[in-house]
Amino acid sequence: MDGFATAFSEITLVLFTTLAPSGAVGYVLMSLPVLLEWATGEARVRLNRLSCLPLGVAMVGLIASATHLGNPANALYVFTGVGRSPLSTEVFCAVVFLFLAGVFWLYAFAEKPRTGLQRALLVLIDGAALVFVAGVAFAYQVDTIISWSLPLVPATLALGAFMGGPMVALAGWKAANCAEVPGCKSAAKGLVAVATAAFALSLVAYGVLSVQLGALSNELAAMADLVPSYGAFIVVFAVVGAAGLVAAARAVAADLAPRPVACACILVFTALFVMRFAFYATHLTVGLGV
Amino acid sequence: MTQYGFHFDGTRCTGCKTCVLACKDKNNLPSEINYRNVQEYGGGTWTADAAGCWSHDTFTYHVSVACNHCEFPVCLGKCPQGAIQKDDETGRVWSDPEKCIGCGTCAMACPYGAPKVDKEQMKSVKCDMCADRVAEGKQPICVEACPLRALDFGDIDELRATYGDLAEIAPLPAASETTPCLVITAPAAAKPAGDASGTVVNESEIC
Repeated sequence: MDGFATAFSEITLVLFTTLAPSGAVGYVLMSLPVLLEWATGEARVRLNRLSCLPLGVAMVGLIASATHLGNPANALYVFTGVGRSPLSTEVFCAVVFLFLAGVFWLYAFAEKPRTGLQRALLVLIDGAALVFVAGVAFAYQVDTIISWSLPLVPATLALGAFMGGPMVALAGWKAANCAEVPGCKSAAKGLVAVATAAFALSLVAYGVLSVQLGALSNELAAMADLVPSYGAFIVVFAVVGAAGLVAAARAVAADLAPRPVACACILVFTALFVMRFAFYATHLTVGLGV
Repeated sequence: MTQYGFHFDGTRCTGCKTCVLACKDKNNLPSEINYRNVQEYGGGTWTADAAGCWSHDTFTYHVSVACNHCEFPVCLGKCPQGAIQKDDETGRVWSDPEKCIGCGTCAMACPYGAPKVDKEQMKSVKCDMCADRVAEGKQPICVEACPLRALDFGDIDELRATYGDLAEIAPLPAASETTPCLVITAPAAAKPAGDASGTVVNESEIC
């Protein structure tokens, strides 16, 4: 049995869980200057209109996830399982977040938008985005899947979102020329700090998880045989993720220069992708499922 | 409602896999999908003592397993589409192709590896306990085909009254996971569920 085959067969879900949660957290972080009224006037307008950027990141992930479905035409039945099936709940949360964020984005092009209404909408959307991240994190909490129902598994997804989200927000702030907004630089430093903290916690979580996973087996396979290179995945995550955060710090120091921002995004998302791939490779049920 | 289920007699099964092939033939399954599998569970070692005499604790036995139409099917609970349902009259767990989107959640969650995703149809497929045959008063084809009469089928309460209520031996998971409608007569060498002394030795035959 080979976990790589499982992960490759679910590669679209690897992409989804890499991009969508980070897009959602990126949306929340990118909206903070508007929500907290650091950004006013033209800067606020630009930020509101460019909210499509993190939204786009989340949507690319969602579209990727839809491509693994055989019959997406039947997908509306998914709402019959909200609350019963974690996956239904996840999809429902995604739809709520995307709908609200879509409405907000359209309203950003109104000639005279009401800023109070926009801020109220942002509160709703940011809440929906965080609930969506939680929905994705718990989507595979199934008791019979012993490797995915470990308590640290949802935590690693959420931490990944708080590692990738700040990169999306940095790119969004750069695109919206936020360098001119007072306090932007210190806020950008805050984003890098959040991502760094999430990265450090992720490393600890993956370290503990590797020990827990190493002890798992069912009657068909042992995790050590299924994913013998789990430690190597963590090393790649550590190296590439650290490089991404260094690039992010350089981007902030250089007033959000585009090249280091792009480098930071690419490296951090690569690191996240590696660990999401490892996650799908570790599928193991109690009994006879791999 | 009558909850139907299977009985597997491990003291009779020789691992011939006639049940597997009869099921594949009846359901016209592709080579990479079996609704029923025969798991060959074996283990143990040979050891030599100081005098050079060899002794062993090796064992092997077979378990024929398909969907157990569980009383609490995890595939049903986790299906995001509500496509997997439990029949009110027979307890059959079945997948509605009109609702299924082929996401594979059922296949990932089932501890018996019962539902599969048919890559051609891109839908979940699984044992339906030969609902058409049962409706005609016949036995499922695997039961009828077994040359050793190691399989039986019927009202699960009657099966339990006749054969006992054991529903878990290695390599199957603990029955408490999903409450399978399965009764097992354990083979002589049977190990308890969760046993780690053996492995499924015919892994390449299982799909």
